[in-house]
Amino acid sequence: MIAEVRDLVKRYPSFELDHVSFGLESGRITGFIGRNGAGKTTTVKAMLNLIHPDSGSVCFFGMPLAGNETEIKKRIGYSTGTVSWYPRKKIGSIIDIVKRFYETWDEEACRTYLDLFRIDARKTPLELSEGMKVKLNLALALSHKAEVLILDEPTSGLDPFSRNELLELFLGLKEKGVAVFFSTHIISDIEKSADDIVYISGGKIIAALPKEAFTLQYSLTGETLEDTMLRLEGGFIHA
Amino acid sequence: MRNILRKEVRLSSSVLSFLFILFGLMFLIPGYPILCSAFFVSLGIFQSFQTAREANDIVFSALLPIAKKDVVKGKFLFVCLIEACALLLMTLAVILRMTVFSAAPVYRSNALMNANFFALAVALLIFGLFNLIFVGGFFKTAYRFARPFVIYIIAAFLIIFAAETLHHVPGLEILNAFGTDYLAIQLTLLAVSVILFLLMTVYSCKRACEDFERIDL
Repeated sequence: MIAEVRDLVKRYPSFELDHVSFGLESGRITGFIGRNGAGKTTTVKAMLNLIHPDSGSVCFFGMPLAGNETEIKKRIGYSTGTVSWYPRKKIGSIIDIVKRFYETWDEEACRTYLDLFRIDARKTPLELSEGMKVKLNLALALSHKAEVLILDEPTSGLDPFSRNELLELFLGLKEKGVAVFFSTHIISDIEKSADDIVYISGGKIIAALPKEAFTLQYSLTGETLEDTMLRLEGGFIHA
Repeated sequence: MRNILRKEVRLSSSVLSFLFILFGLMFLIPGYPILCSAFFVSLGIFQSFQTAREANDIVFSALLPIAKKDVVKGKFLFVCLIEACALLLMTLAVILRMTVFSAAPVYRSNALMNANFFALAVALLIFGLFNLIFVGGFFKTAYRFARPFVIYIIAAFLIIFAAETLHHVPGLEILNAFGTDYLAIQLTLLAVSVILFLLMTVYSCKRACEDFERIDL
């Protein structure tokens, strides 16, 4: 297992991340699904050491995140939705700073991804659409040869064409052995690209299974994954 | 640390931080409360904190492959860099006023504080308070800076007021020495101020590292 989240607990006055556990494998795409407010972003933030869990642990490459933060961050890539950093700075300037933090930075790969995503380095993030901002974050993550990609809602707010492009990109990365972990509330994205599903509801992990096993366990005959999720969520709401 | 400092200068900072360094030259203005220049320099640094917050700089920095405490150290390093540049200009002005212009009537008839090493010591004390109250206070939340800045303003102007008053107190006229008069006392006061500045800055940085490590972003 290339990454493992074990028994993560984070308590807020009105919400609790309740013993969240799951693992990520190299060369597999894991979709982290749940409705808004289910605890996806909190989990992702804990994985990136942006928040401190009350208990539990996060490990990457067999090392606990606590105490190995620098080493781990060099080997992972991240995108926190469409948040834009330094909106009025030239993208080229941002890249020039970021690359100095990574020994594994691949200038050629960076140029390739910028071209692929049609990102003009002379522009500022402010001039980019929401989808392009996600792509910029991805280009930065991919240019330092991240072995694990952690993406919070990368497809939200994207048009269907951009979403499709992104999911295709995930499939390409999977072929290269990268572990892709992305949170979403768009079930069709999971259906299209994920190998594994981690399903969270009300701060609790309901299932962390390969997609086929999830379907076998939870889907009724003839149900699509979307139907299953809607039924499950309905069930949890009314439970 | 070089990379994080480069990030501070090229991405996080406001151009005003650099322009306001020039306020250090206000030490040359006769008949002016010259210690206000230290406050103006810190006002320029404050602009960088504002710019950085608008640009989501703290979260961006925390996501870089560096320890969280290095984010704090980078900010302190940047602040000290600006303060050191301003202090350099102030020192040049002090040396000019203590030597070349020591007999200039425009400076001799100055009712306010003279530009001497004591003035430099007070400016350094103001910078130390900025690092202690404002920069340290900012990292309690890494978001809110109005309260620590207001507290710093009050502290800074109390110090300025006290320094401008003290040399009028009988027996303390030496604080307003001209040229190289009472040089040993002035240099001693400057040395004490350097120690206080270092203590305030190091303590604040250490405390800010602990606070920043604790907070959720």
